Amino acid sequence: MEQQVTVAIIEDHPVVTEGVASWIRSDPGQRVLLVQTARDLTGLRAGPGPSADVIILDLELSGELVTAQIPGLVAAGYRVVAFSGHTDPVIVMETLDNGAHAYVSKDEGSDHLVEAVLAAAADRPYVTRSQAKAILADQRPDRPTLSQQERQALLLWFQGMSKASVGRRMSISENTVRQYISRARAKYAATGRTAPSKDALLARAIEDGVIKPGDIMPYQSFARAAADHPNLGAPGR
Amino acid sequence: MTAAAPATTMSGRYQRAFTIAVVVLVAGWHLVGAGGQLLDYRPAYSSFAFQGAMWLVMALAITAGSVMVLRGTPGWRAAWAVAVIALAASTAAAAASPAGQMLAVNWAWGSAGWTGVLVLLRRRFGELAWFLAAEALATLGVQVWDGLQRADLAGFLAVLAWSTGAQVAVAAGVRALDLAAGQAATAARNEHAARERAATAEIIRVARHARWLTLQESAVPLVAELAAGTADPGDAQVRIRCAVQAARLRRLLAEGDEVPGSLVHELHASADMAERRGVAVEIETAGLLPQVPGPARRVITDAAIAILTAARSQARITLAVVAAGIAVSFVADTGVVVGLPAASEGVAIEHQQDGGMLWAEARWNSR
Repeated sequence: MEQQVTVAIIEDHPVVTEGVASWIRSDPGQRVLLVQTARDLTGLRAGPGPSADVIILDLELSGELVTAQIPGLVAAGYRVVAFSGHTDPVIVMETLDNGAHAYVSKDEGSDHLVEAVLAAAADRPYVTRSQAKAILADQRPDRPTLSQQERQALLLWFQGMSKASVGRRMSISENTVRQYISRARAKYAATGRTAPSKDALLARAIEDGVIKPGDIMPYQSFARAAADHPNLGAPGR
Repeated sequence: MTAAAPATTMSGRYQRAFTIAVVVLVAGWHLVGAGGQLLDYRPAYSSFAFQGAMWLVMALAITAGSVMVLRGTPGWRAAWAVAVIALAASTAAAAASPAGQMLAVNWAWGSAGWTGVLVLLRRRFGELAWFLAAEALATLGVQVWDGLQRADLAGFLAVLAWSTGAQVAVAAGVRALDLAAGQAATAARNEHAARERAATAEIIRVARHARWLTLQESAVPLVAELAAGTADPGDAQVRIRCAVQAARLRRLLAEGDEVPGSLVHELHASADMAERRGVAVEIETAGLLPQVPGPARRVITDAAIAILTAARSQARITLAVVAAGIAVSFVADTGVVVGLPAASEGVAIEHQQDGGMLWAEARWNSR
């Protein structure tokens, strides 16, 4: 048996914490071990290293958005899966840009949260429908360029099809569907603010053959542009 | 500013009434008062023709002044031109009057003063004061020139007090009435705005009440049953009811937030119908949706109704911006193949059946 992934839940509503804990417990493979729950970020155990592999982070703690705290958590070595009632694409994008591995809306929780935690622990992309929606709605000028196929796979996934159905619709295998969606996500890890979690995601995507270093060429030219014009913002390493 | 319009009109109506009253007063004074005095002392004047000519000049000045003030507050040039003409006519008439009887036969002083009141009425009060002072000085000057007697001075001061007092009183009265009318208008405007606020608040309240009523007949009984233990969460039927109510709550919360455009509202209405049959419906939008013309919307909502009617327990509707248009898709557990409307009005419809799940997409292109 593989080693269990350890997880901490940061959530200010005990009933939600209890619900998430019950999803973790009811996972047939018992792949995730809940090691800590806290009602706010100061409740995380202080120590030399991270106290859990992955944090399930409610984005709104005591009425305040904590997206700005994500870079600190990521720098401390945590992998963050955001779990939020918000589905606003702007918040989703900001969360991912700050270095969260995945975004799971509270409506999607029971189907996706445990899977997203496992994917995050392995530094693999996990794209929920709310994330697909945010990517489809993204109109920022510096957004990564997606291929026609990647866009179509994301659109059908957002529309509510299973990945198998998306594959039939596009006449490709389910595995290729995952590949397209993961590649779109990896392209986002290559843009915007620098974060070790994004580097890890990108390295793993290259290792898995999801994305070739050549696929992120637009990003490299963006890096050159940023070096010439520092005010454009620092790209990921 | 629609709210301010009735109040401004009302204030303007009052001010116009005051203006007309002053015009009637000044014209009446010149015709009856000054005109009568002129005719009474007809033999006393050395040249009645000259006095008559000055009376006509004054009458013309009053007519011009009346037209000006009835059209609105005149500018300082126009107002003072009329005032100076009146002052000149009055001084000339006084100078041509017999020296000893000047105060008794001088019809022009009063008329000139009233003309000044007429044209300077809504200008700064100081201007009227200057004018009345100039006119009094001119008349006094004529008397001094003629050889002022002590008795003449007393008479002069009496006439000055009487006529200037009356003129200043009228000017001040109109000013006070203007102020009152302005206050009344402001009060009316405030009342109008308050009524509008109340109407808006009522609309919001009604919408909230409607949402509350919707919850009263749907979500609240379910929560009550769960709390009382009469509904068992283990029962599949109860879980479906919970899913339906959760979807409805989410939509009620989203209503009015990010759902501009009638297409989304029409889809919401179709979703409401399906919910009454116990189907849990989600509606999601990605991106800023373009406006879809009416006929194309009809094709899309027809597809929505066909699919939602066939849905057994769940449906997801999404609206996404795609190149040059919008993709509205439906995923529902219809179980059977659904008859969808034919492509028309720039809307292309595609579908795929996977087991019991139907996926359909209506894509409208603006080109």
